[in-house]
Amino acid sequence: MSVDERTGAAGYGGSDDEIWVSGADWEVLEDAVTEGRLTVNVGPQHPSTHGVLRLVVELEGETVMSVEPVIGYLHTGIEKNTEYRTWTQGTTFVTRMDYLSPFFNEVAYCLAVEKLLGIDAPPRAQAVRVIMMELNRIASHLVWLATGGFELGAISMMIYGFRERENILDVFEAQTGLRMNHGYVRPGGLAADVTADFAQQCRDVISYLPERLAEYEDLLEQNPIFIHRTQDVGVLEADDAIRYGVTGPLLRAAGADWDLRKAQPYCGYEQYDFDVATETGADTYARFLVRMQEMRESMRIIDQAVDALPDGPVMVEDKKIAWPAQLGLGPDGIGNDPTYIRHIMGESMEALIHHFKLVTEGFAVPPGQVYVPVESPRGELGYHVVSNGTTKPYRVHVRDPSFVNLQSIDHMSRGHMVADLIAIIATLDPVMGGVDR
Amino acid sequence: MPAAARDADGRDHEAARADQTGTLPNDGPALRAGTDVGVAELQTIADRIRERFDEVDTTTARGELTVFVPAERIRDVVRFCKEDEELACELLSDVSGVHWPGGEHVVEPQLSTTGWPPNRLTRDRGTIEVTYHLLSMSNNHRLRLVVAVNDDPQALPTVPSVTSVYPTADFHEREVYDFFGVHFDGHPNLVRILMPEEWDGYPQRKDYPLGGVDTDYHGAFIPPPDERVWSRDVPGAGGGKVGP
Repeated sequence: MSVDERTGAAGYGGSDDEIWVSGADWEVLEDAVTEGRLTVNVGPQHPSTHGVLRLVVELEGETVMSVEPVIGYLHTGIEKNTEYRTWTQGTTFVTRMDYLSPFFNEVAYCLAVEKLLGIDAPPRAQAVRVIMMELNRIASHLVWLATGGFELGAISMMIYGFRERENILDVFEAQTGLRMNHGYVRPGGLAADVTADFAQQCRDVISYLPERLAEYEDLLEQNPIFIHRTQDVGVLEADDAIRYGVTGPLLRAAGADWDLRKAQPYCGYEQYDFDVATETGADTYARFLVRMQEMRESMRIIDQAVDALPDGPVMVEDKKIAWPAQLGLGPDGIGNDPTYIRHIMGESMEALIHHFKLVTEGFAVPPGQVYVPVESPRGELGYHVVSNGTTKPYRVHVRDPSFVNLQSIDHMSRGHMVADLIAIIATLDPVMGGVDR
Repeated sequence: MPAAARDADGRDHEAARADQTGTLPNDGPALRAGTDVGVAELQTIADRIRERFDEVDTTTARGELTVFVPAERIRDVVRFCKEDEELACELLSDVSGVHWPGGEHVVEPQLSTTGWPPNRLTRDRGTIEVTYHLLSMSNNHRLRLVVAVNDDPQALPTVPSVTSVYPTADFHEREVYDFFGVHFDGHPNLVRILMPEEWDGYPQRKDYPLGGVDTDYHGAFIPPPDERVWSRDVPGAGGGKVGP
């Protein structure tokens, strides 16, 4: 290990390059301003940092010498909070972590709880989860396209990206009642069945999107400014990516054919025919291509999943686990279905007891620990869930891809211009809700 | 299964294993989401690690392999997992911590709801389990390493850092230090990462309260969920807390 005498930062010398990850805070860095070097603080409130990311950048002229991410400004204690709520309530917390891909959080958490319980959600619930996740992947990538384009000066991309995403959010709202932070996926299945026109809504989205995406691709791919701003910027080769723990589109853009949906399928991904998008450029441009391709592959999956959507329940049969609410439109808007309320209040004492016990206390989960990863739009999103046999999680830890990927920012930025740093932040696509949790 | 490993510190893997397997039958399918490695193959991996290190202890549950490693050997085990041809764990997915305080714990899984009996666990001493999840992309398997250290912050629980093997462990170890107070010996820059640097205490520990929220409304205070009183505290009305 070597220590940088100027900044006090330390790292490990690799075989042919050096690994520098950690940051120090401002007080340490203040003394580090030497002749010809300038330490600049970017963020935490800065339009280009995707939230409250703070970067301490050391510059020599306009060349970036080092970048140190300082995070924690959006720390909300979600992991701690889940330990005080029931297993079902946990979904409402985890969905707020990576707020651009809430369904992935929910599904990964629920798969972990289901694995602890030793149950499987019914096929229909699994298929709807897949559709929702893939729609969510497109929505998330559209935000990346919008903000990433915007930060490189393609202002119209901002409007287009958010406009297309809005259509997907409309589908989410129609099915879950919310545009984001859905709390729709529950341990054992889903909160409610999808509506009758769900398939049509999905088909509508994937019918016009390819055409639009092609248009945006033309706008950017053929644009000399975009090409100059992205090609050979922020190169991260596959072996370095793995050393930094970087997964997802960044790893695939470096030529690694690693996608958890293929390698370790969950939710029945093995039934669908799709390809893993890879590129060999390992730069920002290659990641752009990978993400565009991923959106198309997601549409293929949605197409197949909607066609093959099985019938049946969306929640496990086990009344000791299944969330009892039957959502419906009551006289006062959304709430419990009047028929269901009549059933528990007037017809079945057992149903009332189950409802009461599950809603107030929740179900107990056998002791043990699991680690369940899913392939989120940013990489491997893993849930390490520990139970001690009670109705509340004992520990929920989230391996958020944004958090891990952020470590590579220094490696990618060294030697680039300040303007390229903005492109590199955009290509990482970090979501600070996930980073800080 | 070799005898439970106890190191000089008296750290106890037996207690940890009780939580692994639990006192309840696990009759779920062995292969589920997040793993497609057969149990037989996990056994091969476990045997290979045990062959190389006789002080580790392994257990398999729910299709996941857990390896208990004494703290001072973790760097060697991790390096072996990375460099060995059969294990070939290129990626360190995750490092997290779990705090198991000492003393007696009665786990009440609600007889009325689930029909499971209450479960008593006694721990001679509190531990913090630092948990490493390793992934092999080439051979497509995962494994979990668990290091148990004393949870007394005064005793400066220390684990050798694995950043020299996996640079990605940097942020992860800082996070575990931040939330549990475990020190990582050899970490290049062990400072808090998510909490402010001057923060006092280690928030993810079980003895650290969740804390409530002050509001601006007439100086009201919203207590944390485990301290909320749901009924009006009328004498004789038995106004008590809901939940355990």
